[in-house]
Amino acid sequence: MAEAAILRNAVEATERIARGGRNLLAGIFVAIALAFAVFAGMTGDTFFFRLATEALIFAGLALSVDLLLGYTGLLSLGQALFFGFGAYVSGLVLKNVAPSFWAAIGITLAATLLVGTIAGIISIRARGVYFALITFGLAQVAFKVVFNTREIGGSDGIIGIPQIRAEFGLFSVDTQSPAGFFLLTLAFMMLLYAGCAYLVQTPAGRLLVAIRTNESRVPFLGYSPWRAKLFAFVAAAVVAALSGSLYPMLRGLVSPELLAFQISGNAVIMVVIGGVGTLAGAFYGSAILTMLKSVIGTFTEYHLIVIGALFMLSVIFFPKGLAGYALPRLERWVARRRGRA
Amino acid sequence: MSAALLEVEGLAISFGALRAVSDLSFTAARGGITSVIGPNGAGKSTLFNLVSGALRPQQGRVRFAGADVTGWSTHKLLRAGLSRSFQITNLFFDLSVFENLRLASQVLEPMGRALLPVARSTAARDRAEELLGQFGLAEKATELAGHLSHGEQRRLEIAVSLACRPKMLLLDEPTQGMSHGDTQSTAAMIKGLAGDLTILLIEHDIDVVMNLSDHVVVMHQGAKLAEGTPAEVRGNAEVQKAYFGENPGGETPGGEAH
Ligand SMILES: Nc1ncnc2c1ncn2[C@@H]1O[C@H](COP(=O)(O)OP(=O)(O)OP(=O)(O)O)[C@@H](O)[C@H]1O
Ligand SMILES: [Mg+2]
Repeated sequence: MAEAAILRNAVEATERIARGGRNLLAGIFVAIALAFAVFAGMTGDTFFFRLATEALIFAGLALSVDLLLGYTGLLSLGQALFFGFGAYVSGLVLKNVAPSFWAAIGITLAATLLVGTIAGIISIRARGVYFALITFGLAQVAFKVVFNTREIGGSDGIIGIPQIRAEFGLFSVDTQSPAGFFLLTLAFMMLLYAGCAYLVQTPAGRLLVAIRTNESRVPFLGYSPWRAKLFAFVAAAVVAALSGSLYPMLRGLVSPELLAFQISGNAVIMVVIGGVGTLAGAFYGSAILTMLKSVIGTFTEYHLIVIGALFMLSVIFFPKGLAGYALPRLERWVARRRGRA
Repeated sequence: MSAALLEVEGLAISFGALRAVSDLSFTAARGGITSVIGPNGAGKSTLFNLVSGALRPQQGRVRFAGADVTGWSTHKLLRAGLSRSFQITNLFFDLSVFENLRLASQVLEPMGRALLPVARSTAARDRAEELLGQFGLAEKATELAGHLSHGEQRRLEIAVSLACRPKMLLLDEPTQGMSHGDTQSTAAMIKGLAGDLTILLIEHDIDVVMNLSDHVVVMHQGAKLAEGTPAEVRGNAEVQKAYFGENPGGETPGGEAH
């Protein structure tokens, strides 16, 4: 009996330490973001607040890529499809239905459950590189359709989306306020992160990891990999679309480029830089990529070349990404602290 | 209730021109150990693939626990109580030994817990802990399955297939590559499992087969060559010629698998 207790403690301690490391990594990100907000707020800056808010929004897209790639083993090269879909639905709702935060979020969520399921059924029939190609193709088709549909603005997209007040009962946030909307976006993205972090430590989430590790055995555990993958696909679509739904609130416009491959590709790069299979890494990856773009962009027009080179170097020297590098160290720290307590 | 838990009738599948299993019929009695033997390439693993839903038969029927389960998907069969292990170790090598067992035990949990924190899945946790003890893997619980020795991986392979508390277990060469000592203890363990559990066993070690089996089915080139008690099969002239005859020592006819 004593042995069994020791065994259970060992297993639970490993899981607690892993969870502690992850939470710490996310907590550090929030601390950095808040420090940035204080600093930018004091200098009365608008441009960098907006840029940082955009980085957070794209981090949500990267988070959805990591849920598929890092946990289910599915590389989506078309995740911008759902990001752009969320942005358009939200923009249309704000402009034509009701200038309400909750209406935009709610309708985006419902519509994405439907569209995500259909796209999922099409995509997950294929494996490996074929899955990647199908998601790429679907997003390209969606891009072209949006680009050529006059009713939703065609190549111009939708402009003049009204600024709104997001009501939260006790208080409200004006999307026009740089600091206010930055903090709202930070809280919103942390909720999405918490949702994903919760999901991956449920039995359903563990099953996704099992699929990534060895899909062929999963049916012999009593589960249909098809169903589990569809579940992951729809969950990721929802995360991407909800992130996208904040975009028109920030910029007051949406355009077909939101569905373009550039956006999908960037999200994958963010995940790789940040650390595949870490969730929090998506936020670091997005912050790093956004910073690189704006800093290097001021020095040279060839910033894509520089970013490409830096990306290659980071893959070579930090194959597990920033979070993949930091996590074992944070876990050791958590373990030491627990050991002392 | 029929005495047979599994009934296979006229089962057949071809891969191109190769008739991997042809017109195969036999039954496996409830609570007993039925062994399937035959030289390399006889079609034994293919038979397991057909019965466990990994392959669809081109002809024939499979009945399990009174129901016609021909063409059922693997996960549905598993939930009906039919589980299997693999000849080539098929684990979650990147996950811990405990996590392998917990995942395999997860089907014991009520559906409602699928989206609760995994710590709430106490039935799966308890089952995983029980198997760790039963298979001598407790000290390796937090190690990656991929870091285990071959013998330990073979034990984990059986433990994973047993986790769901199946009615019937198909074991595909469970002792493959094990040391002599491990083979003996695994054989004893399998013998202990029979009774509540019905076992269909593929095994190359002929001593193990003779000791464990209630019933033996001999396959040769996809077809059934003979069946009967271990003694009957051993005395069968055709089997002697096609199978034992090749190897008078009779230790491991057909040699090492793969
Ligand atoms: N999926 C497949 N596609 C094509 N041929 C296959 C397939 N699976 C098995 N075979 C062939 O069918 C024949 C039977 O293979 P099987 O694995 O069932 O033999 P076995 O009796 O299990 O042999 P062993 O003792 O070596 O494990 C072999 O010739 C094999 O090459
Ligand atoms: Mg075989």
